Amino acid sequence: MKKTYYDKVHTWGRIWSVTALAVLFSVPLAISVYYNAWPEMSALFSALLKVIPIFWISAVVEVITYTPMLGAGGTYLSFVTGNITNLKLPCGVNAMKSANVKANSEEGEVISTIAIGVSAIVTTIIIAVGVLAFAPFLGALTDPDSILAPAFDRVTPALFGALLASYLRKYWKISILPLFVGCVVLVFSPTLGAGTLLFVTIIVSILGVFALSKFNLLEKK
Amino acid sequence: MDFRQNGFMYALGFIVVAFVIVQSAFFIRKAWKRAKELGIESSVLKTTVTSSAVFTVAPAIAILATVIVLSKALGLVLPWIRLSVIGNLAYESTAASAVLGNLNQAITDKGDFSTVAWVMTIGSCLPLVLMPILCKKLHSKIGGALSGDSKVGKLGDYISAAAFIGIITAFVATSINGKSSDGKTDGGFLSIAVLIVAVILYLILETIATKFKLKKFEPFVMPLAMFGAMGAAVLFTSVLPAELVNHSWFN
Repeated sequence: MKKTYYDKVHTWGRIWSVTALAVLFSVPLAISVYYNAWPEMSALFSALLKVIPIFWISAVVEVITYTPMLGAGGTYLSFVTGNITNLKLPCGVNAMKSANVKANSEEGEVISTIAIGVSAIVTTIIIAVGVLAFAPFLGALTDPDSILAPAFDRVTPALFGALLASYLRKYWKISILPLFVGCVVLVFSPTLGAGTLLFVTIIVSILGVFALSKFNLLEKK
Repeated sequence: MDFRQNGFMYALGFIVVAFVIVQSAFFIRKAWKRAKELGIESSVLKTTVTSSAVFTVAPAIAILATVIVLSKALGLVLPWIRLSVIGNLAYESTAASAVLGNLNQAITDKGDFSTVAWVMTIGSCLPLVLMPILCKKLHSKIGGALSGDSKVGKLGDYISAAAFIGIITAFVATSINGKSSDGKTDGGFLSIAVLIVAVILYLILETIATKFKLKKFEPFVMPLAMFGAMGAAVLFTSVLPAELVNHSWFN
């Protein structure tokens, strides 16, 4: 039986995904070998225990949610290069709309793949050029005696404040409870790091979603 | 030479960049060929390329800004690599913080650096494991079921958002009343002021972008709010009394 275009995309996608996995792991492996600096197992497992439950649950949800929206080729490309919600998905959707093709058609498939591929290349080039351009100035920018030192010392509140605000307008109902609980927990245990505290806040946040959904309050204005 | 950004690290960065470009070019070439077979006009394909490239410029600069923000702790190259493959800001910040405790100090220990790289990689690898197994099945069986208005899809969106809100609120809470290991960045006046400025700036800039339909400005809202809040930290430190600026709940 002759292979369809979709069959071929899935074959190529599988090969590229496995290759990407090899490239991905070659980075920490090369760092460890080159510097002869292997992670301490206890520190590694302790950190992984903090991130894996969130990242991996998120990964499963993202794969199930985004795969049908991105098209086959677009999906394989997007999950290698990341930045799906803020870039690849809107870029693919925008291209299909502009070309006037349907998402689940073969025309939509090829347009989405081209758009996401172009987006991945442009992003990669812009970041690479930017990194090379900024490298000579970075030391002066982040030196402890620099006038800018207070800015870099407060990266965490600046970064997570902006991130929180990006969720506030749409998800304020979900945001209040975990923030309140997080602060209360810190009153009793102020040295608890964010990496540990997030177990509590994520569970509270997800339970909050189920509670709001149960009482039909999620969508209610 | 800073081990976080020496020739070896840059070589790693370029290998990753080359991989992403070659893979993308491969899929574009195959899709382009199929598009011609389907009778899609060259002008439509060229417009797709141009509009996608233009569409990408602003968000890509926003991603570059996050690389620079993370560079204080990790140097430029590791965030560059991580944000070029799978990565995003929330993932990489969380993974690095899980090892280092916070992102305010430059990493000096090669073992810690290697641990951060491993945690980022293992933490983010699952989609690449799932894709070869699930992608074809999801395309053929689920189709657009989750992408439309289905209730399941919406709840999935909320749960996914809730997971990220859980991560974000943990860091926000530690900025409000957490005690840092070095005692230099405890929750107190400056961290709360920076937090508030970041939130207010974001909401103002987002309102401006929405109200005036500034589509091209939208991707800049978050990095501008972030940089604005960091700028506020410099301003407050320069103009306000040191006693107030250095106030924390723990001194």
